[in-house]
Amino acid sequence: MSNYILKYGRDERVKFISHLDFVRCFHRAVRRSRLNFVFSQGFNPHPVMTIAQPLPVGVTSECEYMKVGFVTDMSCGEIAAELNRCMPPGFKVYAVYKLEGKEIDLTKINSAEYMTEIECSAPADTQALMRETELIVPKKTKSGIKESDIRPHISELEDLGFRDGIQTVRMAVSCGSAYNLKPETVVEAMKKYCPGFEPVFTASHKRRMTADGAEIL
Amino acid sequence: MITLKDKILSGVMKPTRYTGGELNAVIKDASKVDIRFGFCFPDVYEIAMSHLGMKIIYHLLNEREDTWCERIFAPWEDMERQMKEHGMKLFALESGGEASDFDILGFTLQYELSYSNIVNMLRLAGIPPLASERGDGYPLIYGGGPCAYNAEPIADIFDFFMLGEGEEQIHETVDVIKQWKKEGGRSKKELLQRLVKIGGIYVPSFYDVDYNSDGTVKSIVPNDPNAPAVIKKRIMKDFDAAYAPDKIIVPFGEVVHDRVMLEVMRGCMRGCRFCQAGYIYRPLRERKPETLLDLANELLGCSGYDEISLSSLSTSDFSGLPELTDGLLKVTEEKKIGLSLPSLRIDNFSLELMEKVQKVRKTGITFAPEAGTQRLRDVINKNITEDDILKSTALLFAGGWTNVKLYFMIGLPSETDEDIKGIAELAGRVLGVYFDIPKEERAKNISITVSTSSFVPKPFTAFQWFPMDTREELVRKQRLLRENIPSKRIRYTYHDNKTSYLEGVFAHGDRRRCKTIIRAVELGCKFDGWNDFFDFELWMRAFEETGIDPDFYTSRERSYEEVLPWDHIDAGITKEFLIRENEKARAAKTTPHCRLECANCGAARFGAGVCTEKRGVRGE
Repeated sequence: MSNYILKYGRDERVKFISHLDFVRCFHRAVRRSRLNFVFSQGFNPHPVMTIAQPLPVGVTSECEYMKVGFVTDMSCGEIAAELNRCMPPGFKVYAVYKLEGKEIDLTKINSAEYMTEIECSAPADTQALMRETELIVPKKTKSGIKESDIRPHISELEDLGFRDGIQTVRMAVSCGSAYNLKPETVVEAMKKYCPGFEPVFTASHKRRMTADGAEIL
Repeated sequence: MITLKDKILSGVMKPTRYTGGELNAVIKDASKVDIRFGFCFPDVYEIAMSHLGMKIIYHLLNEREDTWCERIFAPWEDMERQMKEHGMKLFALESGGEASDFDILGFTLQYELSYSNIVNMLRLAGIPPLASERGDGYPLIYGGGPCAYNAEPIADIFDFFMLGEGEEQIHETVDVIKQWKKEGGRSKKELLQRLVKIGGIYVPSFYDVDYNSDGTVKSIVPNDPNAPAVIKKRIMKDFDAAYAPDKIIVPFGEVVHDRVMLEVMRGCMRGCRFCQAGYIYRPLRERKPETLLDLANELLGCSGYDEISLSSLSTSDFSGLPELTDGLLKVTEEKKIGLSLPSLRIDNFSLELMEKVQKVRKTGITFAPEAGTQRLRDVINKNITEDDILKSTALLFAGGWTNVKLYFMIGLPSETDEDIKGIAELAGRVLGVYFDIPKEERAKNISITVSTSSFVPKPFTAFQWFPMDTREELVRKQRLLRENIPSKRIRYTYHDNKTSYLEGVFAHGDRRRCKTIIRAVELGCKFDGWNDFFDFELWMRAFEETGIDPDFYTSRERSYEEVLPWDHIDAGITKEFLIRENEKARAAKTTPHCRLECANCGAARFGAGVCTEKRGVRGE
């Protein structure tokens, strides 16, 4: 009985699955596998697992993390292969790490890097945007929609070009429990602060999640 | 890459209803199969994916290398809007291909209130709803399932229907269509002439219906030499050996029945006189416990579900139940899997069994006495006594259950106000049973719910000749019952009678009703089984505009001599038997169940199941 850190991702095929549906989907994958969950003690036992960040509907990713308890003799490589055998097509487990103690803390994750495609008639000037000292946009919080300055939470914003009506940008933004910034909110700011930029539709892919600049796994 | 699909799906609730790609969904190369088959369920994903029949047909067809069966469901309103906005047509979940490109679209006819969705789906597919308006080159449209037994109101829409159980029939049908395609796919009529030779295939356009001046049916006569005068239903004689899929699709989002379903029996031996399923699925056939245990292990293993449920019309009548539950509990306890046993009867209810399966949570339990007095329970042949009900609920209360729901019907034949008051009195006596248990021995917070639905007489039941209560009368009875509920601890809920009324019109409808359905869909009717969408006034407008008096179908008592719109269909039981049952109902006399005594219903000619078991007094 050990705790493991999994690094996994999902592609276009399964990007519309909600966070809760993914949790159930993962439970079922483990039930199909030769792995066994560690169950919580108590009146209504449930598998012990913690997902670092809920992945929003519509976003693909190659850098999700979870901590999960398994009862198994398999090696980390075998666990990854077994999960990949049992997950529905479109999910992939990249790496499995067996925790000795608390050497990896998923709650320390504080930055995420996204590739975002924006359908628009003319591209936004991202360099001009990054020269702004504040970017005030409405942001959803637990207590409703509030005006928030997101500028301190964008560490990088790079224009990767505009082709066939699609502007692609790479961005590194705050994520985690302290402050979580979604790519769409950055696009909101681009719309507000970049004259002539009218986004029609946005699609994002999460590439990296880091804790104080370092990748977890 | 941003795709059109991304844009459409970002604008709808629950996008995984439309993405496909679930575990165990079958993907094939469309260019390498002979037949593309669309299994169409005229309701939303969560309902469709809960349907056992679909799982059977889907995997059965996909085991054929020459056929690719895909799923096609009714899009929810938000998706329909998006589809129209972006010029997208009705599509299949597996390939995303358009429904109109398929060879066959098979609709399952589970309930009358889904008829408007069938027409709406065809419209969304760009397929003309009337069979006569579909030239060669359109997919063949067929229907199967319980409502196919009286499919007259939708007869003009379908090219053909399959009556009864489809496991063999569907293979024969696909074989014929494949051969016909290979020969160059000549006229549809010629294909239908070949299909009609398959047992259980009903081609409505091969029959002429004449009417009397009073609006009743005069005759139903074949107009094609290949069409039989009477179409007989098909059944799987050896149910234990009948195909059962060892894989099931596992949805991403939650569906209604989100679990492994084990079909333990087909048919029911009870013969409740209102119950269409109890008659049309005869004779009762069982699977062996060992067959079911193997299947359970396969299905749990391939799906990863943590719940399994037994499926049948009356689970407690399954003779292998103790052996099966013992075997299942070994698996479920070890793997922390929940076992649920729906459809238990009050009279042979076993507390021991309930304790076994509900180890942790004591959730609510529903019993269905159906009627409030013994006289009326005898009329409907429910064959349970008040003593059964009180004894069972006493066991439940003593076992710690406090949430009991009692289900009844109102508007049953011969029902009087005394019968309605009897429902309230019975609920009161159940509450009394609870209070008879010493305070320290009973659980707190008793909750008794009385729930009523409105009786709809259905074809192929002993009550098919009876009229329905008018909506005014049903409302009066609901009010009368509410006034008589003796305690605040008993909650009373009832089913809306407008949908029941429409169900009654559909159930007894003839071919003239088809234009009304098409008109109703043009006016905007769809998802009639959903309160959010059901628009009674719109339906009434459709009736008026098509010159149909809906009361004609619900308010008339029919004579035994009247030609019924479904008289050319043989559902396995004889009309003489239904007449005998109807007469016994009028005399409040009961009929014993099939294991006690054969009632000569006619199903014995299939030579299967309970009809071949040794039993009581006389054989058939």
